[in-house]
Amino acid sequence: MHGIAYDAVHDEIIVPVHLAGAILVFRAGASGEEAPIRVIQGPHTRILRPETVELDLKNNEIVIGEDGGKDVMFFPREANGDVAPLRTIRGPKTGLDEVRGVAVDPIRNLLVVSSRSSTGTTGVFIFNRTDDGDVSPRAIIAGPKSGILRIRQVQVDPEQGKIFVAVKNNVESYRFDSPSPSPWNPDKPGFIGVWNITDNGDVPPRGIIKGPASETVWPAGVALNSKDREVYTIDSVSNGMYSYYMPEFFPPPKH
Amino acid sequence: MPEKQRASLMSAGAALMFVAFCANLLLRAKPHIFSSTAHANIVSDAASDDDDSCADTTELAMAMTAWKQTQQRRTAPDSPTLAESAPVGGDIAPARSVADSYASLHSVAVDADANRVFMSDSNRGAIFLYDRTAGDNSSQMASPNRVIRGPGTGMMFVAGISLDPVNREVFAVNNDIGDRMEVFPYDGEGNIKPNRVLSVPHGAWGVSFNRTRQEVAVSIEHPNMVVVYRREARGAEAPLRVLHGPETELADPHGIVVDTDHNEMLVANHGNWAPLTREEEESQGGLKGGHFALPSINIYTGEAQGDAKPIRKIQGPRTQLNWPMGLNLDPVHDEIAVANYGTNSILIFRRNTNGDLAPIRVIKGDRTGILGPMGVAIDTKNDELWVTNYREHSAVVFSRTASGNVAPKRVLRNAPPGTPAVGFGNPGAIAYDSKRGEILVPN
Repeated sequence: MHGIAYDAVHDEIIVPVHLAGAILVFRAGASGEEAPIRVIQGPHTRILRPETVELDLKNNEIVIGEDGGKDVMFFPREANGDVAPLRTIRGPKTGLDEVRGVAVDPIRNLLVVSSRSSTGTTGVFIFNRTDDGDVSPRAIIAGPKSGILRIRQVQVDPEQGKIFVAVKNNVESYRFDSPSPSPWNPDKPGFIGVWNITDNGDVPPRGIIKGPASETVWPAGVALNSKDREVYTIDSVSNGMYSYYMPEFFPPPKH
Repeated sequence: MPEKQRASLMSAGAALMFVAFCANLLLRAKPHIFSSTAHANIVSDAASDDDDSCADTTELAMAMTAWKQTQQRRTAPDSPTLAESAPVGGDIAPARSVADSYASLHSVAVDADANRVFMSDSNRGAIFLYDRTAGDNSSQMASPNRVIRGPGTGMMFVAGISLDPVNREVFAVNNDIGDRMEVFPYDGEGNIKPNRVLSVPHGAWGVSFNRTRQEVAVSIEHPNMVVVYRREARGAEAPLRVLHGPETELADPHGIVVDTDHNEMLVANHGNWAPLTREEEESQGGLKGGHFALPSINIYTGEAQGDAKPIRKIQGPRTQLNWPMGLNLDPVHDEIAVANYGTNSILIFRRNTNGDLAPIRVIKGDRTGILGPMGVAIDTKNDELWVTNYREHSAVVFSRTASGNVAPKRVLRNAPPGTPAVGFGNPGAIAYDSKRGEILVPN
């Protein structure tokens, strides 16, 4: 499983099962070998290998992103069984390749997608939430100033209009025939980056968590707890979970 | 206080942060169960673990730095915000962290003639070598004779291992990160380069050396495939044979073992299946979609390749199979042992079992010390059966014929007793449960 989302309204957990082409929905309090309460799976779903998942509670939709499928699909939140998607963003105009993260801004009606590509653009792609088919993104955050080489989970803080991105980077560089000091490229560390949802082009992050003190090597995920002004990340190389107190990322509401 | 001891205790504290929950590879932690000040309180004068050569001793220092920095940030005036300047943040130390500084034992292989036991560590990317008689019934940690670990080794998320006793080599495959097989000398130690490295498809899990054919078989999760190479293959060398296709009924393959006496190949399957690409879907008649099959042990001929069908299959509710991980074969007594992760048990089947048949023995229960079994190895020479626990810092050794809820003969601990195993294995996402104040992590 490479994705997860929590539904705070209905108290459910949604996970994609990459190797079985399925989306499972569990009670949030589930424990042990408990069966899912809903399963989206089957030929009519057109799901191939779901990588990441997000909930749009305002519009009552589940959004999934696929790496091999190179697409984003929207299903009714309560979908169960072999059901067709409501909409699918897929095709050459989208620029999407290996989709690693999806997030929705229900205030601005935007969809934020992180996509990695070895032949095209790796970056943050922003679409209209209701886009369908082979459509061009409204904006793409990518390029050397962005610092994005490899990318994974994204989150949106809609109140602030900010995008939080797990920028994995740190391309593996093990060379058997040379005395490589590390299997990783130490010049390209991963980081948590923050951008405005209105950003477009080769824009540097407006906020960042990066460096040896942060302990992250290859941040693969990002989650937000704005109430406690914390950012959480998970690192798939150090096999560690890190919590950062980041008041600068969550300014108190202005009265 | 010795750094090693403090590191051990740090690990215990960090692991305690991790609320005991691990199912379907979904892990949860309470973000506020331990405040960051708890890091400082974990240090105590408990018994020293001088034998510990596994823990990463830098972690306590990093945690203390983080704690101090966070305290300063919490008492400092409001920092510039995203709206006021750019960029903000920087090299910020975590307020809290959860990581396991001890090994997560994955696979196990025994060379009874050499009196050696090898185990892989998928948490810190290592191979441990122990004496065959290592472990006891005390609470002491066992010391490995040697550890192969470090950036030069190329090991990352190391999973299955297999032994070539004649050429005294250890084969190790990496799962999900580092798509390669490393081959190390029996006597290797430290941060060494492997004897050779072979690129393998993404998602390798199990490996089995075939001494008769001088080949190495590797199971590959993601594309539902088994690839077979010549023993000395290296670099980007192509496999001799590839087993892949709908007729193979491979579905998320994990453990693999070659039966040289009967020229067969046994593969444990979790039962997850989906087309890898739209092209593969179309080649199989279009719209298929993914599905969940029952877990199985599939048996193929030794030369199986292409879209070959299994010649036997152990599958069905009577088998008790549930997330079968490692496999091993007992050629003397004609039995198969399965590390059955889903039910914390070891299942023993007759080698020629076919269909929905119950195992002839099951080792399971609270006395066994089996928790999250990942690897299993049968030592017919000494009549013992080894099990590596992924959800506990231990390996347990039973009599080969053990059955039921029995205590192990010996326990090999690689962390102080009671140290919880965090269980992260290449985690790829995270979510926050605001209702429970829990952090959710799928593996």
